[in-house]
Amino acid sequence: MAKRILKSAAIAAASALMLSACAASDTTEASTTTVSFRLWDETVAQAYEASFDEFEKQNPNITVNINVVPWGDYWTKLRTDVAGGTMDDVFWINNSYYGAYVDSGNLMDVGAVMGASAAEAWEPSVVDQFTRNDTLWGVPQLYDAGIAVYYNADLLEKAGVDPEALDDLTWDPEEPKNDTYLAMAKKLTIDANGKTAETEAFDEKNIAQYGTNLAYDLQAVLLPFIGSNGGHFQDGDEFAFADDKSAQAIDYLVKAINKQHVAPSAADTNDDGDFSLNTFTQGKMALFQSGLYNLKNVSQNADFGWGVAMLPAGPEGRVSVTNGIVAAGNAASENKDAVKKVLGWLGSEEGNAYLGVDGAAVPGVVAAQDTYFDFWKKKDVDVSPFFDVVSDGKTIPAPTGPNYSKGFEQYDPIFKEIFAGTVKPLDGLEQAQAAANGAIGADG
Amino acid sequence: MPGVSDTVKPAVSRQPRMRPSRVPGRRRRRDTTTAYTLLAPSLFGFAAFLLFPILVVVWLSFHHWDLLSTPTWAGADNYGTVLGDAAFLNSLAVTAVFVCLVIPVQTAFGLVAASFLTRGLPCSAVFRVIYVLPWISAPLALGIVWKWILAPTNGLLNTLIGERVEWLTSPALALPSVAAVVVWTNVGYVTLFFVAGMLGIPQHIIDAARIDGAGPIALFWRIKLPLLRPTMFFVLVTSVISVFQLFDQIYALTKGGPHAVTDSGTLGYTDVVAMRLYTEAFSTFNVGKAGVIAVILLGLLVLITLAQQLYFRKRTTYDLS
Repeated sequence: MAKRILKSAAIAAASALMLSACAASDTTEASTTTVSFRLWDETVAQAYEASFDEFEKQNPNITVNINVVPWGDYWTKLRTDVAGGTMDDVFWINNSYYGAYVDSGNLMDVGAVMGASAAEAWEPSVVDQFTRNDTLWGVPQLYDAGIAVYYNADLLEKAGVDPEALDDLTWDPEEPKNDTYLAMAKKLTIDANGKTAETEAFDEKNIAQYGTNLAYDLQAVLLPFIGSNGGHFQDGDEFAFADDKSAQAIDYLVKAINKQHVAPSAADTNDDGDFSLNTFTQGKMALFQSGLYNLKNVSQNADFGWGVAMLPAGPEGRVSVTNGIVAAGNAASENKDAVKKVLGWLGSEEGNAYLGVDGAAVPGVVAAQDTYFDFWKKKDVDVSPFFDVVSDGKTIPAPTGPNYSKGFEQYDPIFKEIFAGTVKPLDGLEQAQAAANGAIGADG
Repeated sequence: MPGVSDTVKPAVSRQPRMRPSRVPGRRRRRDTTTAYTLLAPSLFGFAAFLLFPILVVVWLSFHHWDLLSTPTWAGADNYGTVLGDAAFLNSLAVTAVFVCLVIPVQTAFGLVAASFLTRGLPCSAVFRVIYVLPWISAPLALGIVWKWILAPTNGLLNTLIGERVEWLTSPALALPSVAAVVVWTNVGYVTLFFVAGMLGIPQHIIDAARIDGAGPIALFWRIKLPLLRPTMFFVLVTSVISVFQLFDQIYALTKGGPHAVTDSGTLGYTDVVAMRLYTEAFSTFNVGKAGVIAVILLGLLVLITLAQQLYFRKRTTYDLS
């Protein structure tokens, strides 16, 4: 009996101890708030780690957790997490997808949280992109500037091409005489026997080196080619790519891939967005048209001499797309005060500069952008082609609209078939446009 | 320890079969209560993780929902849209082709493999393990490995045969290629059951058949195959259900493509029902339409299982005990 009493007493004591332990941990938790931050880019996430380390030093009662969700799952997971109430407090969002979240009331009004004048410090083109219904819906984090062409200097030298000649290349779907771009691409495309695509003996089934990365890549290839030919992708939120000029540009790309074989086939690139990047960094592609978002990848992985040249000019000159990314605040967050502080830090010169310091991205805060240029200048990389191409203000808008994702699901498979050569460009574009516009008009 | 042997012995064997019906009402009620109490944990699991989600999906199928706004009542709208949707009807057809392609091939391979594995050849046990490995591995991971094997440039298979074949993106090859991967994944699982079934056939029946002059082929067709009927039923039912729910490999390998662009819409050559369901739910966010597809899929699977059960019930089953 005595034993039993002792046992009960021991259990009671243990329970009390556990309870007090719980209580103790509760009080420490109450004094620090955790803010979660989600993005898709592993490279930039490392820069954020450093930035938030400093933020936590200045705000010891706030901890920031970074979650990297890969691009392939990002938009699906964002949607389901918002629906399930498990979304992070602050998250990256881009121009194509933010509209739906604005319209459903899931984003914080940045002007109301941080003051209307805060936007003056930020990259104006990004502020414009993310202003909907006269309200700014995110704190600009990075600015993509325009599209340019990375080149493999070793391969150019082998072919006897002066890199400076790349800046004068023009393409023309109507007048082959004016098309110096395709001629250059053929010269730089070489089969396993060392024959270039200019020659009759060229073996298209055994290509050892590609001239370019022309492919179904909306941002880096499709939009600049459509824009440089005077075509449209969207008119407002509606899809408008079935016009003659866009179809002509796409037809030009498809022929370059499937007839001239100067770029990898759609079977390689349609489902593998990194195929061309990898081919370029492996030294098997001479020209790689892309954005600043691949600068760090190229610089880390290319073990050959490389540089950056201007986007080739089309009949309407060089018309690039420009894009930005913002950090949006989750309107359903329970830690509004802490989120406000984090957003303030992300939009400050000090907090945002970390993205530029190690060259990961061009900071969205204008005053912090010098850090980026300094980094690449020290590395002896001239990034001016990315900025020169958009300096004259001639750009084609990046895809947008609250139902963009629904339209995308409709046109995407058809575009893939167009690039695979199984559907004629104009027919496919007309059908894709009708399907995509039907999807954004109709509500599921 | 007195009385232990009494409690251990199964009580049923000593009691006449009809006994329960003669039990007084109160006793029976108490038995039922006990039964439900004992069943409660698994009933809770069944209700929470099976019944409840099914009811939610049925509820969703009658609503419009894009995951962001609040769901609105749609009546039978979604059912009308889905049943008239060329992409959905195409996905049913594609799934049917998959069933017709995968089930016979994997069953045949499974039977052949099981016959060899039950012959007592050296290393049979090792092979049994190897055969099941694909089935116990994560299908998505296997899909990614196969995607690399079948890649047009630098893919293992094309490097081996020295020719560039677009296994996953050419309209003619995509479906057979994916079907081959599915067969490869499932064959071990099917074999495992056939091995168990064959080992369950008493040796004296086989000996008797041999004495009566049955060769290996007659032995297989006339003796082993008929005696495997219960195994065959189980294997066919589970395989058909698993092929109808095929998703992981499709997601990893083709995402439903390549596509035919037709006047009635864009139709995927490997766009099976589960892939269509995923696309509707998580790419275009038409959750209501996805709910309808899920309900139709559930109905179809119930019907197929019932049909298979009826077919096999009519045929003789041999009692080997």
